[in-house]
Amino acid sequence: MQTRQSNFNEIVMQAIFFLSALISVLAVLAICLFLFMRGIPAISEIGFTDFIFNEKWGPVNIPASYGILSMIVGSIYVTAGAIVIGVPIGLMCAIFLSEFCPDNIYKIVKPAVNLLAGIPSIIYGFFGMQVIVPFVRENFGGNGYSILSASIILGIMILPTIISISESSIRAVPESYAEGSYGIGATKEETVFKVMVPAAKSGILTSIILGIGRAIGETMAVVMVAGNAVMPLNKIELLKPIRTLTTNIVTEMSYASGLHESALISTGVVLFVFIIILNASLSLISSKTQRN
Amino acid sequence: MKKSKLLSIITLALMLSMVFAGCTQETPGTPAADFDFDKDITVVARDAASGTRGAFHEIMNIIVKENDTEVDKLVVGALEFDGTDKVITAIEGDKYGIGYISLGSVSERIKAVAVDGVEPTVENVRSGSYSVSRPFLLVTKGTESKLVKDFLKFTESAEGQAITNEMKFIGAIDAPEEYTASGMSGTIKVAGSTSVAPLMEKLQEAYNELNPDVTFETQAQGSSQGIKAAIDGSYDIGMASRELKAEEASELNRYVLAIDGIAVIVNNENPKSDLAADDITNIYIGEITKWNEVK
Repeated sequence: MQTRQSNFNEIVMQAIFFLSALISVLAVLAICLFLFMRGIPAISEIGFTDFIFNEKWGPVNIPASYGILSMIVGSIYVTAGAIVIGVPIGLMCAIFLSEFCPDNIYKIVKPAVNLLAGIPSIIYGFFGMQVIVPFVRENFGGNGYSILSASIILGIMILPTIISISESSIRAVPESYAEGSYGIGATKEETVFKVMVPAAKSGILTSIILGIGRAIGETMAVVMVAGNAVMPLNKIELLKPIRTLTTNIVTEMSYASGLHESALISTGVVLFVFIIILNASLSLISSKTQRN
Repeated sequence: MKKSKLLSIITLALMLSMVFAGCTQETPGTPAADFDFDKDITVVARDAASGTRGAFHEIMNIIVKENDTEVDKLVVGALEFDGTDKVITAIEGDKYGIGYISLGSVSERIKAVAVDGVEPTVENVRSGSYSVSRPFLLVTKGTESKLVKDFLKFTESAEGQAITNEMKFIGAIDAPEEYTASGMSGTIKVAGSTSVAPLMEKLQEAYNELNPDVTFETQAQGSSQGIKAAIDGSYDIGMASRELKAEEASELNRYVLAIDGIAVIVNNENPKSDLAADDITNIYIGEITKWNEVK
């Protein structure tokens, strides 16, 4: 009797755990299904080349045009800008935190970084609109709503991702590496930059890719500082406004109807493909490290 | 450990307050004193499917219709925002900006200019001399409950129209009737235009005072969303700040709630207070790019 009871419990609990695991898989599948079912017909109706390789976006024109090339390029530029700004700062911060930081400073910097990660993106956007945009306007020119402003905001937003993951991967490098380095007479700086950081390479790369994922998917903050203008490719400039894939969806989604709405969902499909590529390269990196 | 946490929070708060103090110090300035007419105009528009944009671009001939085609000629590089509040914030922060918002949303944060010498006032919109105006509509599917009908009757009553006029919109009913409270209860779901939403909120408050048992659920995400929600029945009333398209009109009952002027707005430091309609159009299609080219 006793064993039958516990057997039964075990089966029930197993089912519950399995169901929990299933739910996340189901959620991904449902999102995929929704995106592709709504998005693919629209892409085929617009025409694949007319959608991906056309820079003219005019959903309310008659005849309408639904080209998102400008936004694909916009997303890539803004993300690249974020990486240029965020990675050096984040990486140096991570090296400082893991190798050089005195305890009392660590106790201030680490919670501040964690707090940075918890700030909602709408706050970043508000901060960007009130502080970064006027700053760019006054110091660099243009009207401030620009690729540069969006890159700065995103550069700040990806800092926590890069700092935390890089820091822990540098910390995870075995102590014997450092001891060996000191043993052959290397200084602290040489040890950190020539032994510890290279040894933590895959973790640092992972942090950068996660940062890219965060930057390319960010919406609320970007929509408030990028200006959202659809620029023809030859007019895209660092200090000119830009529209990204995400801001295209968020600015027009609530108002759109018909093919316009479907085209916005298709924009989401393209974004999704970007994320899949990023995740694939992420698992490529981790499988490579495991082989090593 | 606790002490250091507290310390870090205080440091952060100090840093933040310094940032914000920094930006408040920059804002004041004497009007016109340092306005550089050689600077590029920052053109601010709404997103492609907003009712305000549809109406404004059509009235100002920014949308060019030729035979069967219709092209929005908005200048390349114009900023596009998905809400009145963001347009106001953008113009407030940019000395050389120009934008457009519903007349009822005009505040002292920005300056509404006269168009062709006509001030954007309630009287001028009602008399028709201020040319940039559009209807505010409430739409229903025609299968609405008694409660929804009663609320619609309230919006068209003398009380409702008084609130409409108070909000700087122009009541569309010539001889409104008095409203008597019905004492009904229930929920009314309203969705649609962000331009109509502030007026809707005031109307709901006043209606609630007379009928305390009624609750409202309001979502403001734009005219098209409101119209869509009314057609598919997910909301009782849709708010629209543009005329209905033919295929929408065939499925909906249409109530004109008010007439709204669209104000052309500039930064408070901009010395211009009167723009020619042609110049506004030329700014929006990119023929004029600097303030010194404006008459």
